[in-house]
Amino acid sequence: MKRVVITGRGVVSSLGNDLPSLMAGLAHGKSAVRHMPDWKKYKGLHSLVGAPAELKGEKDIPRQVRRSMGRLSIFGAQAAKQAVEEAGITETFLTSQRFGCVMGSTMGGAEAMNDAFELMLPSLDLSQLSAMSFFKCVSHTAAMNVAQYLGIKGYVMATSAACASSLQALGLGYELIRSGRQDAMLCGGAEELHPIVTGTFDILFATSTHYNEDPSVTPRPFDERRDGLVCGEGAGVLVLEEYEHARERGAPIFGEVAGYSTSGSGSSVSQSSREGMQACIEDAIADSGLRAGDVDYISAHATATMQGDQCEAEAIRAVFGGKVLVGGLKGYIGHTLGASGAIELAASLEMMSRGEIYPTLNLGKVDPACSGITHVQERLKREIRVIVKNCFAFGGINAALVCKKAED
Amino acid sequence: MNDDQVKKGVDEVFEEAFEISPDRLKPESKIFEDLGLDSLDIVDLIVALQKKFKVQIREDERVRKIRTLDDIYQFIIALKNAGGFSQS
Repeated sequence: MKRVVITGRGVVSSLGNDLPSLMAGLAHGKSAVRHMPDWKKYKGLHSLVGAPAELKGEKDIPRQVRRSMGRLSIFGAQAAKQAVEEAGITETFLTSQRFGCVMGSTMGGAEAMNDAFELMLPSLDLSQLSAMSFFKCVSHTAAMNVAQYLGIKGYVMATSAACASSLQALGLGYELIRSGRQDAMLCGGAEELHPIVTGTFDILFATSTHYNEDPSVTPRPFDERRDGLVCGEGAGVLVLEEYEHARERGAPIFGEVAGYSTSGSGSSVSQSSREGMQACIEDAIADSGLRAGDVDYISAHATATMQGDQCEAEAIRAVFGGKVLVGGLKGYIGHTLGASGAIELAASLEMMSRGEIYPTLNLGKVDPACSGITHVQERLKREIRVIVKNCFAFGGINAALVCKKAED
Repeated sequence: MNDDQVKKGVDEVFEEAFEISPDRLKPESKIFEDLGLDSLDIVDLIVALQKKFKVQIREDERVRKIRTLDDIYQFIIALKNAGGFSQS
């Protein structure tokens, strides 16, 4: 098996449109969660908070490439470009069949779907539909648009597993490079904030609804006063590359992907289970050849739902005991769903480089049901050598990725 | 709406929907070769013209013969003269 390293990172987030801006926001303890007054018009929508990113610089993408991109694909393309530039990928390599792309999202372009149905359904009239509606809506919109934008000719695939989408994209890229099918891949996910997306969670009582007038204090991962998730948006894309290939061309190396697993819990469509999460994390660690005791930091899924946080805390405790450091980033940028795994991994890798861990924002008093693990509640200077990134999704789908610090 | 207003409206469609600067919009400009549109853009051109002039032209066979910007001007003017659209 070949080794797989991370040589480029790109992020668009509600705390800024590149990784340094995101890290600056985290370092300053900034919340990007806002009250969303326009959402009041939706009957039955109780969560009026979200973490919007700023759409900017989109005209840098040529019109004939941009025309098929909705908001999430633009975010994805921008993050992908950042990652390619940081990795120093040449045009020749990028457009060879040895370079691929896997990008995930929850459901494709929510805004484009909404617009298409609004145009079409009132009078069942298709004549006003843009030729671009389909390309903006579909579940592989981020993957195909990133591939078109950058001229990618290797594997182009989309993962679609809701909140686990981008971690599955990274896992798939890892497996394709490890097995020798690709030399490098852009892997990640993109998501856009839209009331129909928040509404999906809202009708299941999974959203935060008690802090509409005080948005910066929610979501509250692992906190006893947590009341659900807050949707965010953005994109995270990493360049995964075969180790020798990266070494040979002198690429920067931000970490090594050491292990991965994805699995179903088989118990509920709406949530995972402690047993399912635990099995997935254990399998990822086994895949890495490391031991649970080698792990220094868990970048938790931690969406701030009552059940999800408790199950995750129990699973972490069962695998690692109480000493491993556990943090989550959704208090800062909300839940970016299909982008969350990649955005949060990019930030965690940067924390690993800095030897500094930023706390779980809005975690005041730990819920006793989420105790027994070491929550990061203040900024810590600490060497991190091994990270585990968790994602758990609708459909009872689990994903866990193990990364270790780059070494010779 | 007079003929000049129709032409102005068509030009606005090209500027807004296809980001083409006004100095490139000449009556003899060929839609594909000079203005850089492609077959997918033509679908959105039809949608944009329908919206601009409140007309239904997707099924109109004359659309297939359009080659230049002036062809569009004349097509829309013909629709107007035939009472085929109304716009405030």
